[in-house]
Amino acid sequence: MMAAPDKSATQHLDVPWRKTFRRLLAAAGASGGQLRRSLFGLSAAAATQGLALACLVPLFSAVIADRDPKTAIAWLVAMSALSLAAIAIRWRAQGFDYSGQMSKATHDLRLRLGEQLRRMPLEKLQDRRSGEINATLLGNVDENFSYTLIVSDLIFTALVTPLVASLAVLFYDWKLGLLLLAIFPAIIPLYRWRRPVHARGRRALDDMHQRMNADIVEYVQGLPAVRAARRSGERAATLKHTFDELETLQTVEHRASANPNVIIASIVEIGLLVVVAAGVMLVIIGQTEIAVLAAVAVMVSRFAEPLATFVTYTVVIEMIEAALDRIDLLLAEKPLPRKLPERQPDGAEIRFEEVTFQYMKSNRPALENFSAILPPRSLTALVGPSGSGKSTIARLLLRHADPQHGSVRIGGADVREIRQEKLNALTSVVFQDVYLFDDTVLNNIRMARPDASDAEVESAARSACCTEFIEKLPEGWRTRIGDVGGKLSGGERQRLSIARALLKDAPIVILDEPTAVLDSQSERAVQTAIDALVRDKTVLVIAHRLSTVAGADRILVLDEGRVIESGRHAELLAANGRYRAMWDIQSQTRRWRRAEDALATK
Amino acid sequence: MIRRDSPWAIMTPVNDRIRLAMIFSILGGMANLGALGLVALALASLISAPEEAPWTFLCGALVCTVGSYALRIASFNTSHYAAYHLETLLRMQLANHLGQIPLGRIQDFGAGTLTKVLHDDVRALHVFVADSTPLYARAYAMPLATFAVLVWLDWRLAVAAICVLVCGFGVLALAMRNFPEMVRRYNDAREQVSAAVIEFVQAMPVVRTFDTGHSTFGRFQRALDAYLAVVTEWYRGAGFSARFSLSVLGPLPTLLVLLWMGTWLVFRDTLDISTWLATLLIGVGMAEAMMPMMTLNHMVDKTKLSIARIREVLDEKTLPEPATPPGPAVADASVAFEHVSFGYEDGSVALDDVTFHVAPGTVTALVGPSGAGKTTVARLIARFWDVGEGRVRIGGVDIREMETDALMGQIAMVFQDAFLFAGSVADNIRLGSEQATLDEVIEAAKIARAHEFITQLPKGYDTLAGDRGVLLSGGQRQRITIARAVLQNRPILVLDEATAFTDPENEAALIDALSSLMQGRTVIMVAHRLTTVRDANQILVFEAGRLAEAADHDALIEKGGVYARLWTSGDAARNWAVGGVQEAGPE
Repeated sequence: MMAAPDKSATQHLDVPWRKTFRRLLAAAGASGGQLRRSLFGLSAAAATQGLALACLVPLFSAVIADRDPKTAIAWLVAMSALSLAAIAIRWRAQGFDYSGQMSKATHDLRLRLGEQLRRMPLEKLQDRRSGEINATLLGNVDENFSYTLIVSDLIFTALVTPLVASLAVLFYDWKLGLLLLAIFPAIIPLYRWRRPVHARGRRALDDMHQRMNADIVEYVQGLPAVRAARRSGERAATLKHTFDELETLQTVEHRASANPNVIIASIVEIGLLVVVAAGVMLVIIGQTEIAVLAAVAVMVSRFAEPLATFVTYTVVIEMIEAALDRIDLLLAEKPLPRKLPERQPDGAEIRFEEVTFQYMKSNRPALENFSAILPPRSLTALVGPSGSGKSTIARLLLRHADPQHGSVRIGGADVREIRQEKLNALTSVVFQDVYLFDDTVLNNIRMARPDASDAEVESAARSACCTEFIEKLPEGWRTRIGDVGGKLSGGERQRLSIARALLKDAPIVILDEPTAVLDSQSERAVQTAIDALVRDKTVLVIAHRLSTVAGADRILVLDEGRVIESGRHAELLAANGRYRAMWDIQSQTRRWRRAEDALATK
Repeated sequence: MIRRDSPWAIMTPVNDRIRLAMIFSILGGMANLGALGLVALALASLISAPEEAPWTFLCGALVCTVGSYALRIASFNTSHYAAYHLETLLRMQLANHLGQIPLGRIQDFGAGTLTKVLHDDVRALHVFVADSTPLYARAYAMPLATFAVLVWLDWRLAVAAICVLVCGFGVLALAMRNFPEMVRRYNDAREQVSAAVIEFVQAMPVVRTFDTGHSTFGRFQRALDAYLAVVTEWYRGAGFSARFSLSVLGPLPTLLVLLWMGTWLVFRDTLDISTWLATLLIGVGMAEAMMPMMTLNHMVDKTKLSIARIREVLDEKTLPEPATPPGPAVADASVAFEHVSFGYEDGSVALDDVTFHVAPGTVTALVGPSGAGKTTVARLIARFWDVGEGRVRIGGVDIREMETDALMGQIAMVFQDAFLFAGSVADNIRLGSEQATLDEVIEAAKIARAHEFITQLPKGYDTLAGDRGVLLSGGQRQRITIARAVLQNRPILVLDEATAFTDPENEAALIDALSSLMQGRTVIMVAHRLTTVRDANQILVFEAGRLAEAADHDALIEKGGVYARLWTSGDAARNWAVGGVQEAGPE
């Protein structure tokens, strides 16, 4: 009997709610069963509360009409028992929150999402926008669900309790009971009608917020230029315009959603009062006991506001739905496919075979039909203008993404046939920008090989020319990076990352513009460190400055995703082609032109 | 009055509207009580005269009911519109303030943090300002009013009802004793989760290259475990008292107390039925009306962090402006540092007693290892901060005596990261010289060696630039900002690593462009690479915040000091090649 009213209530309310319910249970993972029990418990508690309230009718009959203390007390006891039962059931159901199951469920979900981020192709993760979205999702996943029980309870109490109480009134007085029940079908279509309006408004607001965020980012980042141009504050016209536009949109959207609120409130509150008025008429014509009417009036006084306002809580459900959408989207991302059978690379030879690759959001290939062989222990350099495909080659080797065409092989094995962990172990990378963790200096280096001893870490750091500056730090090797992060120079950070790579001692080394942004002094130290790193390794260097790679075994000159020249430095100079032109420009631009030269070229 | 440090102070700009919303809310509650009272009167009249229809009372109840929800919705709307307006006001105030505080402080905060304050933190106020204010008003006013009416109806039942309320709140208060401490611990754990998440996502490329098992996942996992422990402890600790007070403050306990006691009193004939019904209609909601306070306090606590961050930005001191703007006129385009010392907020000394003079129309290069103070010098000229001791003069005038706009009118700056906003290329060049015609823009672009590539863009000068426009290379973006500086035509030019991020082919064009821009201007340029500075009229060599040497290239080399040493090691660096074997270096 308790489950029945609940079921009809959920059926009356939109079908999507049932879908949301199922998805919510799925998101709760192992705790799904408990969450289901808890939600059923809450609706059962609401129903029991309705039954308790329904006891008012016989109670009032006993007190007002019959003046029968015995029956009155019997009904009072029954009502007290039902109330206690309702409280006890709700108490138990809320245990999902209070005994920490909810936190555990969101914790597990967060770990699941984290695990997913770890497996999904880096190309997708590195897209800035989706990166931000995923970070927010991962950060707020518990906030999204923490109100589930509270809101469910509010909605159940607003809907199920009056419904059950009204059904019970039918037994005593079918006319009043029917009148009460007539209110419910009136609310549902209104809710359905309000929902799309609401969803549309939300989307428009989301877009607007995104635009405003972009404007704010632009303003804050551009402040030096904006101020130099005397266009800050009140004079930042675009920004002011965007703020005003947001307020206008917020106001319009609020008004649009406020109108249905007025209508729903009118129907519920006036409707319930009409029921009372009709009851008064029925009493006057002798069709209804005054005791029944009094009981209905007291019940109605409890129902009116929750029924009139429960619609506003449904916003929270929409919030939960939005979070579920994004979770599904993230969980749907597939990791890069493995090709079976698994193969072990034999040696450190790298081979690109007719590789063509295009980024997801690009309309032209970043790399076209690229083939190259990097023999073991050789040094290969990639040069060319920005956007020519140099970094793409490194990314494909690291398997941030798979090429649409062709294959990348290490030691004979296609990278798709190599286990990801194994592949990770094969390569060390030194990027232009170094990511350091908020941990000690020692641990930052050690992450390259967690089982390395302190002595091994220190030896790697020594080879990377780090010892000197590390020992000057306030707490030496135990200094937390977070405490000094900003004070380490680019060169020092770079040397730490080289120390990591040295410790890892992988057979393949990728250097991505490692000395591009350093000052002359740091540059020297970093160079020494790199010299230590590349010894006896298969090395791939990406460089803007050609002199850096003049000693390479082979230089590949790239332009628009194709190799246009290749060979040793001397051969390329002699060929008098693109490389030669670049070399000449670089030799020249080392000096500023004197004023008169500048005038002469004008 | 509201204390300045109370979270409520943030609403000051829209105080009137919020107050109105609260008044509406209270009046709405009163109207609701009135409606219930009139229904009680209707029932009473029906009991005393069963044939007579109590239309007056019922009509009154209808009016009160309509008034009640109309006021409730009006209150809700008023507070929402006020909250929206507050967002606009605060954001504008923040944007304005950022335009007046030292630029150095803006860099200390970081663009990410400031964006978060302007966007997310201001947005986070909504729940507090819009949703909670009407509820607060009602949660305070309604129980009081209800109690007064109950006492007037029947003091015994009033006492019984208030006992239920006191019992619920007593337990709640007991539970809240450790609340601030728990909130603090919760927020700490939460911040650590945020940091771990950001690290986890941002560092993923690095993590992957070292990911040979599960070890690197550990940092993320540890932060999450700590958070789970705090949250679980909190929930378990609050479990009994929270559920108990929720149960007691719900409508059932009050209803039962009023029913048991009422029934008893009615049968003893010391209470008439009509009064009893009236107390039931009016009194049952008394405890429930206070319930929002529990959730509201929690909401306000969450908002407090956002408010604190907004305040922190608004409390930053603005750069002092001269008493009589625009201040004295500058004599020429010379720049002078006189015994300038400067230290950052964290106490580190950046410049120590630096003195030099740059004659109008000459080129001065600032060199030295990173952290030596050269960038600080460049930024002090543009008043990113004010000096600690000594003074910076432009054309003989202390820059602190100049109005910011007047100072900016003297200086053009080209930074290493070129800033383009989302407008057209032409508008980007026009920034700061909005009145310039398209011909003037094109002329400036030609001088900046930008005209050629701009005309090849899909819509030429009307192409949208910036993050939301076409992708331009670093060198191209830089040349657009140089065209901007050409158009701004200011006598002093400050270059801060203007060529750092460009590839060689772009660098040639860029250096051409800068060379044109430098014509006839006083130039101060920060350089990491020594090769770009040897033709400067004056080279200032910095070391650990002090000016170590100052002369031109040849004199400095001859002197054999710091500069000569840097130059030699620079030579080695320039000729270095990965792997060590190199056939012939350039130059």
